Amino acid sequence: MIILGIETSCDETAASIIKIKKGEIQILANTVASQIPIHKKYGGIVPEIAARAHIKKIIPVIKETLAKSKICFSKIDLIAATKGPGLITSLLVGVETAKTLSFSQKIPLMGINHLKAHIRANFIQSLDIVYPAISLVASGGHTELGILRKNSYKKLGQTRDDAAGECFDKIAKILRLGYPGGPEISDKAEKWDRQAKNIKKKFTTSLPRPMIKSKNLDFSFSGLKTAVLYKVQDNKKQLNNEKFIQFLSHEAQNAIVDVLTQKTITAAKKFHAKSILLSGGVAANNSLRERLAKKSKELNIKFFVPDFKFCTDNATMIAVEAYHKYKKLSQKQKDNLNQNWLKLKVEPNLEL
Amino acid sequence: MTIKSKSEKQTIKIGKKISKKLKGGETLALIGNLGSGKTIFAKGIAKGLDIKKHITSPTFVLMKVYNLPHNKKNIKYFVHIDAYRLKSGQSLIDIGVKDWLNNESAVVAIEWANKVKEILPRNAKVVNIKQDKKNKEIRKITIT
Repeated sequence: MIILGIETSCDETAASIIKIKKGEIQILANTVASQIPIHKKYGGIVPEIAARAHIKKIIPVIKETLAKSKICFSKIDLIAATKGPGLITSLLVGVETAKTLSFSQKIPLMGINHLKAHIRANFIQSLDIVYPAISLVASGGHTELGILRKNSYKKLGQTRDDAAGECFDKIAKILRLGYPGGPEISDKAEKWDRQAKNIKKKFTTSLPRPMIKSKNLDFSFSGLKTAVLYKVQDNKKQLNNEKFIQFLSHEAQNAIVDVLTQKTITAAKKFHAKSILLSGGVAANNSLRERLAKKSKELNIKFFVPDFKFCTDNATMIAVEAYHKYKKLSQKQKDNLNQNWLKLKVEPNLEL
Repeated sequence: MTIKSKSEKQTIKIGKKISKKLKGGETLALIGNLGSGKTIFAKGIAKGLDIKKHITSPTFVLMKVYNLPHNKKNIKYFVHIDAYRLKSGQSLIDIGVKDWLNNESAVVAIEWANKVKEILPRNAKVVNIKQDKKNKEIRKITIT
């Protein structure tokens, strides 16, 4: 079976072709055209600019993906496109393109939940995930803990205000760093780690770990951003001091990673999880990957995180999620996918 | 009208109280610095509209629409918008904000409304939240 995946939920235009043979997934091509340089100067994605960039790139990206994989439309069995959640103007480009291709090339069409696909990214390279698994999805728009069993998913907790990635973005903006905030802060934090002890001694602060002790599995990141803001307001002159910025980046990252790790481990213990799955854009953060890997090992739980290129938005995870969804359909449901180009709609507020 | 809030809890309560008076079709323009409590106030508004879900930040997608449980009033939707990253209101028009402004079945709350002044309806209620300079916990909430 050959699947074409299309992803345009935010600021990456992406296409992928995967081939499934005897249950084994082979990635024939994975293309991502990022708009980050375009949105950088606005400190975040601008809907209209994103839509224009998607329109400009979607056909070349699909063509390139077909060429790289040496596949023509007649060989494709299924087209899968992200239907939500995301920015409506961005989602529309991918979904409408997919509908047009489905109609004109007579290929069945499936709409995919972007968040489910993020979790599914863990299944691209790993086949030995054991259930029950605790899943943490952390990105610019979402922070959610859930329990994954063989045939079900249940939400255990979520952020009550800002998403983890959003917290990185906002703190980066307070520290006058660039967008997206995650990589910028992580870079400064790593530099701080390499700092000599006598310099480290000069700076002290204690940032909060919001809700880390609460009994539920919810998160809150809004207060952390405010704490960093207060710290900066009290030390305005220090904003030009590179060491101070490195220090605060380090502290902020630590606080975010502490909370994410602690809650995930609490969930894993509570539900006697056999695996922990990390996914979403924030899963690309080295400190979080290392910390969760270490904690999981201590508890003898298997830890999974996708390769960096499958943490950030990509279309391979969309195609893989489509495959897993397709497998479970009845023949009638599969037949209905032929007419899905008439029905498929974007759902910007879709949930897991 | 100016109200003083001493805590997050109190800000939620104030939002809830104001929310109870809404009839639908209103736009609440929330203005205040980062960390002043605009989202907290919006949570109060949502609570007053009997929304049980957590109101999470719409910064990333700019706009989140919540369906309301059946109620005696005609309000069916709560629309939560964050203009934090925006330089003008055009971006909001691009994602369909006009479907909701002055729509009698919806209550719209716009955070950082000062960044999108040109799209605010004339009758928008301006909610200004100011943090006390000395005591960082205290907020002055002015509604006009």
